[in-house]
Amino acid sequence: MEPPRSSGVGIDNSGEYSPEIAETLRFEEEIQSLIHPSSFDGSAAPTGGGSFTALLGLPANQAVELLHDSGAREPLASRIRVGEHPVHRPFHLPLDCSSAFPSNATLVDRAARFSVFAAEGSPASSSGRLKAEPQDSDSPPLDPIPTGPAKRKDTGRSKCDVRLSLSFKSQAKVTAKKSKNAEENTDGDKLPYVHVRARRGQATDNHSLAERARREKINARMKLLQELVPGCSKITGTALVLDEIINHVQTLQRQVEFLSMRLAAVNPRIDFSSLDSYLSAECGPVTVRNGPGGVVVDPSLWPTDATAEATRRLLVPQFWHIDLVPPQLQPQQSLTTWERDGAAHSQLLPNPTTSLFLYDPANSGDTNVPHRTAKLKTAEDRALNL
Amino acid sequence: MVALRFLRALSLVRCSGPGARSPSYRARGIRRAAYACMAASAGPRRAWSRALLRKIRRRPGRGLRRPRAVIRRRRPVGGGDPLEVALRRLVPGGGCMEYCRLLEEAADYVKCLAMQVRLMQTIVDSASHVNSID
Repeated sequence: MEPPRSSGVGIDNSGEYSPEIAETLRFEEEIQSLIHPSSFDGSAAPTGGGSFTALLGLPANQAVELLHDSGAREPLASRIRVGEHPVHRPFHLPLDCSSAFPSNATLVDRAARFSVFAAEGSPASSSGRLKAEPQDSDSPPLDPIPTGPAKRKDTGRSKCDVRLSLSFKSQAKVTAKKSKNAEENTDGDKLPYVHVRARRGQATDNHSLAERARREKINARMKLLQELVPGCSKITGTALVLDEIINHVQTLQRQVEFLSMRLAAVNPRIDFSSLDSYLSAECGPVTVRNGPGGVVVDPSLWPTDATAEATRRLLVPQFWHIDLVPPQLQPQQSLTTWERDGAAHSQLLPNPTTSLFLYDPANSGDTNVPHRTAKLKTAEDRALNL
Repeated sequence: MVALRFLRALSLVRCSGPGARSPSYRARGIRRAAYACMAASAGPRRAWSRALLRKIRRRPGRGLRRPRAVIRRRRPVGGGDPLEVALRRLVPGGGCMEYCRLLEEAADYVKCLAMQVRLMQTIVDSASHVNSID
């Protein structure tokens, strides 16, 4: 009989499979004892490996349908159809399958929860088919038997096994209720065809799907943030990572404040206009190359270098140019440079109201300021596309 | 990109009142200029840059009410996680976003902040270096 053999195997075999498979094995035993299909020949290979594949057959198919994309649906269907034929074949199950099935009561409990097996009521013929099938289907990964149908199953099965292991691992996260829902959903439709990329035992209703997608999105963003913040990659745990990120942002903001104080304290005898022309000459071709959108990352390196170089070049020869330029001239100067840039890039923002302020002058009480800011606005619009 | 804007802004701050204003006042102006440049170079596609510019522009433009009214709060914050709340406060415009969006904006904000800090550091270094040569 299968059950004792399989139980024996469960203990003896040492394999790579996760413990959850053991429980499915056990459950399959019970199913088989219950169902007792006619295809069950006396010549059935009496090894635990066989029982494993048999046990795996039912869950495998269910899980496979759960896991597979639409692409795999055809092999599945073909498999199911084909499976009818080998029903009468001797139940040869490969002995090569070495799997560890440690006896574990909790696993059995979990197996009991799987409504896949609750669907043992799904006709015995199907289970018979499925049982007979796995002998062919499992053999390819373990002991390649190149039959026609088996070939088609090959691609499916190898995927299936990989995903099975994945799914079995993921079962640890699943609650009983969810798994029941999932399996019931799958079984509610025509036999076990679920065209959703749901992991085994996870709910497939819209809410949980959306939640899962959202969770994955959040995790992806957290990973991004982790990479951005130095020293965060080693930290495990969302709370600590968030903490580190917050600290980093606060540090950066404090640094900006501190540096602005320093800049204000620096002797303001610096000729920035010539600096501007130098930098714009450098910026122009680069920004055109980069395109309108992603200028943030690439130029992050060269502006600072260029800035340092420019400041050094302009200041060291002590070409001091005290800004005694009257305020009225200043905006015109900047305007001309903006226009130069705009002409170079030949891009005009159609909507001037979407202007982004360059800078709000400190002495807003000055009457000239409104003019200045207005001019800057339009200039900014043009420069925005840089 | 940021360098250009920032240097121009700096020159404006300098020329506006080198003798008239105290250094602290100028520092505040420079800080505001820094944030404005950062937001401006980030572009209007980012929620944080829009919010930041709105915050900066609020002082002069208080009287003007733009006809294009922006819906400020699309969804009230759940506010359960203290870390999340803190992050929302730090990132400009973070009060109205979903958590997922908040993380995205935070990443971009950190990137731009780091760049701005580097830029300012470079300017300060070169300026002070040049000054020390005298």
